Amino acid sequence: MSAEQEVDLSKTYDAVVVGSGAAGGMAAHVLTSKGMKVLLLEAGKKLNIEQELRSMEWPYDNPYRGNLPPDEHSLSFNEYTIRRPPYGPGFEKAKHLRSYIGDSDYVKNIVVDERENPYTGTNYAWVRARCLGGKTNIWGRLALRLSDYDFKAKDRDGYGENWPISYGDIAPYYDKVDLYLGITGVKENLDYLPDSIFQRPTKLNCAELTLQQSVKKMGRTLTQYRAGVTSDGLKHNKYRSRCYGRGACERKGGCDIHAAFDSPTGLIYPAMDTGNLTVRPNSTVREITVDPSTGKASGVHFIDSQTMKDYHVKAKVVVVGASTLESARLLLLSKSRQHPSGIGNSSGHVGHNFCEHVMGPTIAGRAKDLVGKPPTLDDGRPGGFYLTRFRNLKEKQPKFIRGYGFEGGSGCTMFPRGTHVPGFGAAFKEEIRKNQGAYIGMGGFGEVLSRYENYVDLDPAVKDKWGVPALRFHYKFGDNERKMCEDMKETAKEMFEEAGFEILYASDRILTEGWSIHELGTSRMGNDPKTSVLNQFEQSHDVKNLFVVDGSAFVSASCQNPTWTIMALCWRSCEYLADEFRKGNL
Amino acid sequence: MSDENPANKSTDFLQDRRQWLKTSATMIGASLLPGTAVAGEARQNETTPKAAPPHPHQVRPAKFLTPEQHALLEELTETIIPADSHSGGAKAAKVADTIDVYLRETYEDEPRALFREGLRLIDLMSQHYSGKSFVNASPEERIRVLSVLSENSHLSEIPEVKFFNELKEITVECYYTSKIGIHDELGYKGNRILKEYVGCDDQDLAKT
Repeated sequence: MSAEQEVDLSKTYDAVVVGSGAAGGMAAHVLTSKGMKVLLLEAGKKLNIEQELRSMEWPYDNPYRGNLPPDEHSLSFNEYTIRRPPYGPGFEKAKHLRSYIGDSDYVKNIVVDERENPYTGTNYAWVRARCLGGKTNIWGRLALRLSDYDFKAKDRDGYGENWPISYGDIAPYYDKVDLYLGITGVKENLDYLPDSIFQRPTKLNCAELTLQQSVKKMGRTLTQYRAGVTSDGLKHNKYRSRCYGRGACERKGGCDIHAAFDSPTGLIYPAMDTGNLTVRPNSTVREITVDPSTGKASGVHFIDSQTMKDYHVKAKVVVVGASTLESARLLLLSKSRQHPSGIGNSSGHVGHNFCEHVMGPTIAGRAKDLVGKPPTLDDGRPGGFYLTRFRNLKEKQPKFIRGYGFEGGSGCTMFPRGTHVPGFGAAFKEEIRKNQGAYIGMGGFGEVLSRYENYVDLDPAVKDKWGVPALRFHYKFGDNERKMCEDMKETAKEMFEEAGFEILYASDRILTEGWSIHELGTSRMGNDPKTSVLNQFEQSHDVKNLFVVDGSAFVSASCQNPTWTIMALCWRSCEYLADEFRKGNL
Repeated sequence: MSDENPANKSTDFLQDRRQWLKTSATMIGASLLPGTAVAGEARQNETTPKAAPPHPHQVRPAKFLTPEQHALLEELTETIIPADSHSGGAKAAKVADTIDVYLRETYEDEPRALFREGLRLIDLMSQHYSGKSFVNASPEERIRVLSVLSENSHLSEIPEVKFFNELKEITVECYYTSKIGIHDELGYKGNRILKEYVGCDDQDLAKT
């Protein structure tokens, strides 16, 4: 399958899709399946991804044991903390500067060079993957549904806005995503975390089972990691294999047999097989153009990322799925007489209500009865466990609203846990060996409230390598997040104590804004065009042939990982889009 | 260690430290304040990193360290992770060679200087405690030197302590990413194609 197609820029496409990650890939899949002729533009390269990921490479077969080569640098928590964006200056020695997630030989070419892609303003760990498939090449794979506890959260605590949809509207599309892409998990019948249509689940190991049973007594739920991974295989998709439990899922990097969902093999290549999809990588879209007579979108201007040549392509519909922050940037960049503050931005809300998940609070413990046991195979699965939300469901917390969940795991790993114990010598070596299977740990992911005053806009001076104005951040966590993180630490300790684990480490330290890589909300949906950018079908209130189908559309962040919801929403919106297109309403 | 007062220990350590720095100063006749230039540094600085694409599988020959320094580093890493009845240690896993590659190709000037200074200070300590260089000291005598540093690992501003802390970290990283560390020592069972992930084999626990 080659993505290096000849692109006819003289014709008018039914739709141009900007971005090739979860959202852009899904838009391409749904629209082409409805017979629309689609051009997909991706700013980055089409990588030889299997060669990048090398999922089964042993560390000793890698020149730097899997670390970055010496001429590259990736930003650390300290560097994000003591420096201010843009992060380029001060790292002149490094040939390439990467975000924190790029700290591995397997991921380095998937994430952008920070110096070519500067941003300014408040501290933010902005992870961007400019390549075919975007961040789906390296995503964490936790695939969760939202519920009416999230969509109608305002009804429960009075904060923010409700979504213009309820669970019933999106549930059929979650089902479609489950069946088309594959997901593993266990049914739990939780009203706040609806089940998917699961393939064969993974299993918990011993310490995880102990924790599951002990939190159950507290009325809480620990379930198998719900992974966007096909454990049984997908008969309709020839580009993906089922999961063979090869491990390496914990290593920062993706899956070179594509058992884990990624947009190219899951969505884009099958869409190309319909004959309706044209893909052009190396295409940095810099502006959505407008028909001066109608005010509608007429196509996009893009720069060839390698030759720097500028192009224009015409389309009847423009679908933006460039990622929450890049999509906001593109709308703000697209100023015209009809749309002086950026296309689709008559409300002034584009870039605002920016939200995500806060992370950092972590606990590590030891199951004493597992110390000294022979090594077990514990990483032959896409993830360990997910401990579901339990705050502000039936009860009301006095100090914060909304909730959080924990991701965690236990058991033996290729590089042992617990090497930071004091000492050295024979006893030290033996201690690491004897304890290697006994560790259990987890980290919290909490909802960051959507706030109008948390926003991005365009920097008046700084531009990226392609001359496109950079994004400027005005974004900080607030008191609700801090209180929530303190609570995460306390409840984590309480649960580990209850399970009889020896607690080795517990922290409520908050990681830099952006660390969760779950940016959301910059073009939120709503019924009121004065306070929202999109309607319930992710269609611009102002420009009816403009859709924004990624995390931008979220009204609130919830505490669940967003990818599955991005794709379910996008599927629903694109069915509506195709229907309206056929009726001539766009 | 935890029930002793670390403050008392630190005082002992600092008094000791003054001693071995003094002893060595008379012996070698050089200024030994931490951070001062080390003899031979200028020569060694000429080994600027050349990022020649290294071939995996191949252990590259030591280039950054002198043969004497390399021998000392081997004994140091082996003292941190020794061979035992279960598996080979840092020496067998060629940890010193791997560190040499890092020193040559990935380290900045400052940690490089710390490494050279650290190796020198370790030998001074060894002379102080046993009258022998570290390489010539017995395993027990070597352990004694590193114990002093390990027990004072919180005094991380002191060059030899800082060196020990960093040496331990890099030794651990290189050892547990080596063949011996992964397979012989830990008996790692993953990174293979599985029919089915087994999960908990404790039947009582799995049933409940």
